Parts: sequence; structure tokens; C-alpha cells
Amino acid sequence: MSAAILGLELRFRARAVASAALGLVALTALVGSLYPSLGDSIADVEIPKEIGDFIGGSDLATIQGWLRAEIMAVYGPVVFAVIAITSATATTAGEEEGHVFALVLAKPVPRRRLLLAKAAAIALLLGALSFAVLVGLRIAVAIAGGGVATAQLAAASLHLLAFGLAVGALALALGAGTGQRGLAAGVAAGITLVMYLVNGIAPVSDATSWLRYLTLFHYYEGGDPIANGIDAAGLAVLVLVTTLLLAVAVAAFERRDLRG
Amino acid sequence: MSPGPALVTQRLSKDYGSGRGLFELDLEVRSGEILGFLGPNGAGKSTTMRLLLGLIRPTSGSARMLGLDIARDGLAVRRRVGYLAGDFGLYPQLTGAAALRYLARLQGGVAPVRIAELADRFAADLDRPVRELSSGNRQKLGLIQAFMHDPELMILDEPITGLDPLVQRSFHDLLGEVRDAGRTVLLSSHTLSEVDRVADRVAILRAGRLVVVDELARLRAQAVRRWEVELADSPAIDDIRRLPGVHETELDGRRLRIAFEGPVDAIVKALARHEVLDIRVHEGDLEEVFLRYYRGDER
Repeated sequence: MSAAILGLELRFRARAVASAALGLVALTALVGSLYPSLGDSIADVEIPKEIGDFIGGSDLATIQGWLRAEIMAVYGPVVFAVIAITSATATTAGEEEGHVFALVLAKPVPRRRLLLAKAAAIALLLGALSFAVLVGLRIAVAIAGGGVATAQLAAASLHLLAFGLAVGALALALGAGTGQRGLAAGVAAGITLVMYLVNGIAPVSDATSWLRYLTLFHYYEGGDPIANGIDAAGLAVLVLVTTLLLAVAVAAFERRDLRG
Repeated sequence: MSPGPALVTQRLSKDYGSGRGLFELDLEVRSGEILGFLGPNGAGKSTTMRLLLGLIRPTSGSARMLGLDIARDGLAVRRRVGYLAGDFGLYPQLTGAAALRYLARLQGGVAPVRIAELADRFAADLDRPVRELSSGNRQKLGLIQAFMHDPELMILDEPITGLDPLVQRSFHDLLGEVRDAGRTVLLSSHTLSEVDRVADRVAILRAGRLVVVDELARLRAQAVRRWEVELADSPAIDDIRRLPGVHETELDGRRLRIAFEGPVDAIVKALARHEVLDIRVHEGDLEEVFLRYYRGDER
């Protein structure tokens, strides 16, 4: 039964994931290929440290800093968050609003099983995208003439995956908990955006810098995986948050009255 | 020994506030019967069915289906029940065949030949994507998924919505077969003629409360009868008008029209005092009975 649910979810999203993955490879490789021409000139531009930190580190003169500022700080999280939120809310609240659950959950299907199979499908989807980012990063570094080990690129991709899973679990909890797609997607996107801003702004002052510990972004890129490799503590926090949000999603979904 | 009831609810309630919902429903559906479930919009028919399937949770009360408690053994119950929701969606990008295959797997396995057979009976096109189907053709898929595992108990919410008369007939034939096989059906409907055709008993809900459960024949006996009597002379009709249960009398020359409810005997005896040439009896109108219950002015 779980295999049937998982299979259907993957079938629905295979084409979108394939094109998103190709897009990510192309985007990452393109950003990398711009580095040799832009990197030198940007290195000469005086960027205030605060702004530099906000966009992911001011060290644009190295390929590592370049990829950190472009892929890790901006494109990666945006693409992963958008895909995680849209898929997680479509597969829960979207189907509920489409009255599909009125048939599916009248079958002998435990709600928990349905939700976890859908979560697994989203995890696989994000895993594929994470691999695409790794491929893209590898190409980018090759174009730039080397300079970052594959292990670090893999660490960066893995952190991106863990970030996407946490955001996806948040959206899943909201979608399964409310049954309202627009609301769930809006709130999940809003929370993610606020976390992004807090993570960027909090360090500006010592009084507020602790706030960044409240954001997923801190655990995602605080350890600077593209320079330092895997940040086990950061990953552990993201995995823990994902697990807790999944538990919340299941508990809320099991207790709730279906809307449609 | 006859089998126990297929479905029993005990004070089953779902309170949505401000008087909406379902209140203390005590309903029993006997094994092997088709029970018509009637009531105006918002009376609580769909709410009852959704409670039974565990799609929503009761505020209080309980229900047993096929001998199992729906709260504790919901999964086991749903394995043996076929449900057609009043408002359902299917994955628009799937073909009918793929959607049914998926639902069959969730059901726990259905012989593909059974799906083909039902599709044939309902003249359903399984090769087109669901999004291209008319509402009637989508409804056929809903019916097939409710019937495909030959459930012991069927809960059907407005099943003939959107179906053309031919398919309605196939559906009613199939319902007859289900009953003949000793299986049970709870069927909600807006169409009195449908209930009249297929149901053994009816239950009528109004504003979330059960107002009557009875056999159709007995409900029909409550209907206002209309007789047209031709007499040899022009009678004095006052004595007829004063009889209990008589609503209307109208004398048109020697033709007398009477509308009455209740026992026939007193009317016949009053008429017998005259020379009766002819009596035309109009069938008691079931719809009037239902509407009386719907409006709440039943006596």
C-alpha cells in the first residue's frame, strides 16, 4: 500500500523534478562559469562587511566564496524551499481541497501511512535535487579550474538537502494540519523568509546575534560546509527539526476532521 | 438465526455549533436491506456517512458497522465497506483505469476483471484522463470504486448524481443484485422516485435529527389520498366533509373530489349511502409525505 502511494507521488512529480534537476545543474554550472570573469573584478569592489555577511560572506575572490554567496546563500535555499513547500502543500492540503482524500481515506489506509509515504516521496525528490546541485557544483569548480574538494561540495549539497527536508516538513505539518493549501504554503513561505532575514540581520548586533540560533539557515550554512565540510551538529539539528515536524504533522492529521 | 444489524449508531453526534450538525442519531440498518436516507440539504446525511467512514470524528456517540466499532476498528471496517462520497475528486492527470487501479491497491486488491465488468455495465470510459471526463462519467468511476471489492456494506451518498437514465437503471439493477446477495446498502438521495424504486425502508433526517424510520408502504399509507367519485345523484356532502382525516371536498355537479388521509373505511361507508357510479383512485403521493417530514409539520 505504501509502495502504491509512493509510486503514484513519484510518478506525478517525476517530470517536474527532472526539469528542476536539470535547471539546477545548469544554473550552478553557469554561476561557476561566471566566476573566472567576474570573480577578479568583484574582488576589487568594496563591499561593507555587514552586507557581505548578509549575502553569504564577503569573500567573493575565491571560488568557494563565490559559490557560497551565489548558490549556498541564494539560489540553493530558494529553489529547495519553493519546491519543498509547493510539493508538501499540494500533496496534502491540495489533495484534500480537491476532495481526493474523501475517496482515498475511505479505503483501509491509515492516515499516518498515507502522510509518511507522501513525506518519503518529497524526501526522495529533494534528494534527487541535492544530487543535481552536487553535479552542478562539480562542473562549476571544474570550469573555475578547481579549488574545492568534492567532499566539501557533497557536504554543501547534503546541507541543502537537510534544509529542504526541514522546510518541507514544516510545510507538510501546515498542509496536513490545516487542510488549506494557500494558507499552508503562505505561512510556510513566510516563516522561511523571516528566518532568512533574521539569520542575515541578527549577527549585525551583539544584542540580537543569538536570534540566528532560532533559524534553520543557521544550522544549514552556519558551519560553512562548502569550506569546512559536514557540520554534524548543524545537520543533527535539521534532522531533529524535520523529525519533530513530521511527528506534529502525523498527530495533527490523525486527529483532525477532513475538510473535503 | 438472522444476522445482526449491518450498521448501528448510538446517539451519534457531530456538533458544528449554531444548531448545525448531527444530533444523537440512533439508526439501525438491517443486514440485507436497502435503507433510503432522505432529508433536505444540510440535514446531516453526508455528515452521518463521513462519520461512519472515519473522515470526521464524532463529538459524542458511537457506531458499529458489521459488528465492529468504527472508532476502534476503523481500518477493518473500511476493508469491508464500499463508500461513494457525495463530493469526491480524483487525480485529474490519471486515466480512469489508472485511478481505479490505485484505489484498488489501497483497498487491498481487486481482480482487474471485476473492474472491467463494472466499467462495462456502467458504460464507463477508463482510457481518458479524469480531467476530460464529464461529471456523470466521473461519477461512474466513483461507483466502480465503491462496488469493485464486493463490499458487505455500501454507503452511497447521492449515487445517481449526474448519471443518465440508462446508467441509473444499470446502477439500480446492481443494487438489486447486491441486496439479493444478502449485502446491505445505506443510500442517500434527493430523488424520491429512486428511493421508492430501490429502498426497503427509509430514514428521514431533518436539521440533524432523525424524524422517522419506516417501511415505504407504511409511509405511503400516510399519504393524502385523492379520490374522484361519480354519483348518480347530487349528494349532500356535509357528512363526508365532517369525517376525520378529510382535507378537501369539492362537488362539481355529480362528481365529488375528496382528499383525505388515514383509514378508508369511514369514507366508503359514507359514500355507500349514495348510488356510486365510479371511483377513480389517485395513488397516494409519497412526495407529500416526505415534504411534510422535511418541513416538520408531520402529525
